[in-house]
Amino acid sequence: MKIASKINDMVDAEEGYIDRRIFWDDSIYSLELERVFARCWIFVAHDSQLPQIGDFLTTTIGEDAVIVSRGEDGKIHTFLNSCSHRGNRVCFAEVGKTRRFTCNFHGWSYGLDGSLKSVSRPQSYNGKSNFDKGQLGLHQARVESYKGMHFACFDPDAPSLEEYLGDFRWYLDVILDNDEGGIEFIDGNIKSRLKCNWKFPAENFVGDSYHAPWTHSSALIAMFGKQPTMRPDRSYHANANGHGWEFGLDFIGNAATLNSPQILEYLREQEAKFAERLGKVRSRMVASLSSANVFPNLSFLAGHNTFRTWNPKGPKETELHTWVFLNANAPEELKEEYRRGVMLTFSPAGVFEMDDGENFENCTSVNAGVVTRRQKLHAAMGLDSRIEHEELKGNVHQSQINEANQRAFYQRWADLMSAETWADVPVR
Amino acid sequence: MNQAEQIETSEQRTVSVELISEIQQFLYREARLLDGEHLHEWLELLTEDIHYWVPGVQARYRNDDARFSAKRMAFFDDDLEYLKIRVARAKQPSAWAEDPPTRHFHMVSNIEVETTDNPREWTVHSLILSNRHRTEDDEMEMKARRVDLIRRDENGALKLARRKVTLLQTVLQAKNINTFL
Repeated sequence: MKIASKINDMVDAEEGYIDRRIFWDDSIYSLELERVFARCWIFVAHDSQLPQIGDFLTTTIGEDAVIVSRGEDGKIHTFLNSCSHRGNRVCFAEVGKTRRFTCNFHGWSYGLDGSLKSVSRPQSYNGKSNFDKGQLGLHQARVESYKGMHFACFDPDAPSLEEYLGDFRWYLDVILDNDEGGIEFIDGNIKSRLKCNWKFPAENFVGDSYHAPWTHSSALIAMFGKQPTMRPDRSYHANANGHGWEFGLDFIGNAATLNSPQILEYLREQEAKFAERLGKVRSRMVASLSSANVFPNLSFLAGHNTFRTWNPKGPKETELHTWVFLNANAPEELKEEYRRGVMLTFSPAGVFEMDDGENFENCTSVNAGVVTRRQKLHAAMGLDSRIEHEELKGNVHQSQINEANQRAFYQRWADLMSAETWADVPVR
Repeated sequence: MNQAEQIETSEQRTVSVELISEIQQFLYREARLLDGEHLHEWLELLTEDIHYWVPGVQARYRNDDARFSAKRMAFFDDDLEYLKIRVARAKQPSAWAEDPPTRHFHMVSNIEVETTDNPREWTVHSLILSNRHRTEDDEMEMKARRVDLIRRDENGALKLARRKVTLLQTVLQAKNINTFL
């Protein structure tokens, strides 16, 4: 593990410098798959995506293909999409409903919980063959959930999801629990490939409000004729265990770009109820100018109501999955407003997201140059911005135009990458 | 009548060679306007009630009847207002990612014209290959099947009234779609 011992030198969170090799080197990427993706809690599905027994979807944890299904026991299961016999995929649809996942190769057939149910020509295993169905199920991940969001983890030694999320649960409640009905996902998702390292978009969502007025100038001017107002005295970076949220307390800044008076009307009508449930400060975050990321790769925008995951496909390629959600108790007609609003703004053809991919890709590709790769990246804005806040939890920094959350993201990444086991990973 | 019904109820009746040629020329001209990023002129080819739809495509099993849904997420599900917002953004001087411009190539083929119950409207099938190049080596390719409803307006001009674009990719092999298909 030569690389592992060098990781701590590659992230200097105190001075705010990042080594570019972490976005490029194959050996670092391989270690990332082991120590970040095969070790952390990775978002796999929202409860509303798999309402009935037999509902399933396929996705990836790192580069491991998995099936996520609602079992006969009513619970969500996550297991490898790879037959125990010769390893072929056992499910080729990205979503659907079934009773069995059957391999096309030799007919091995698995239940909704991944257990091996039957094989073709079972009599051929008579005699000595080491064939024990109970031992030949599809490899399982742990599954735990927080307020309808299901996460899976391949590491038996990982802390519980609750511990893993830590104080960030208090922030997640802003979107997951501002209404007694919780949220639901709108059907379907959009998938696209970017030729970038997965960490560039993840760090963009964890804290980079700095880019918004510049990168997204074209969309802001086309839609509003002006830039949004970000107030350093009324905005923050907050993080816990590498999860982070940059936000203002402007209540509806993000939602205002969805081009929907109905959404704004709904939010204003509900504001007092949000405050009752969440308290005044968090109620002002429900749809405010903000972005966030749950470590490592689940990003979201409050107000736009979009979740997305950045799935690694090698150090230089990322597959983006985008969903839209809304409060389950919101009026039915708002579904269309959110669905179309996100499509207009934050999808691959959206007027905001349009410019992001170009940045992430070029930040990655320039590192082909060996001299370029030796030059460290500056991430030192707001080194002295840490504050104590009487209400806000976790590590809080004044002003959303800041790089405190990005440093916390990379620190958590370095902690995991240099740790032999979870016992060596500090709580941050 | 929704778009799907309109397409399904169209019957095959004879269409004149002149009309086929006129519609082909309309689609070729449209493709050339998109290649040249003449987006305001492209908007002029659309009816006021345009519905421009590029649904998300999912790999589902054959026995799954929910392959498409109008309520599912889409790349575009636009009326004229939305299309104008997209064009307004693309034409801002601060659309940094559009400068230097993308080099576009829209190829249209397999054009097939069918009559509808409305003598001023035709269902038109086509295939499209969109190829985009940026920087030295950035290439993005999209292939799709289109079903259009083309209408002759009161001035005799052809206009695009409906378009459904079905991409072949379930995972878009591109960072964005900074064009129309």
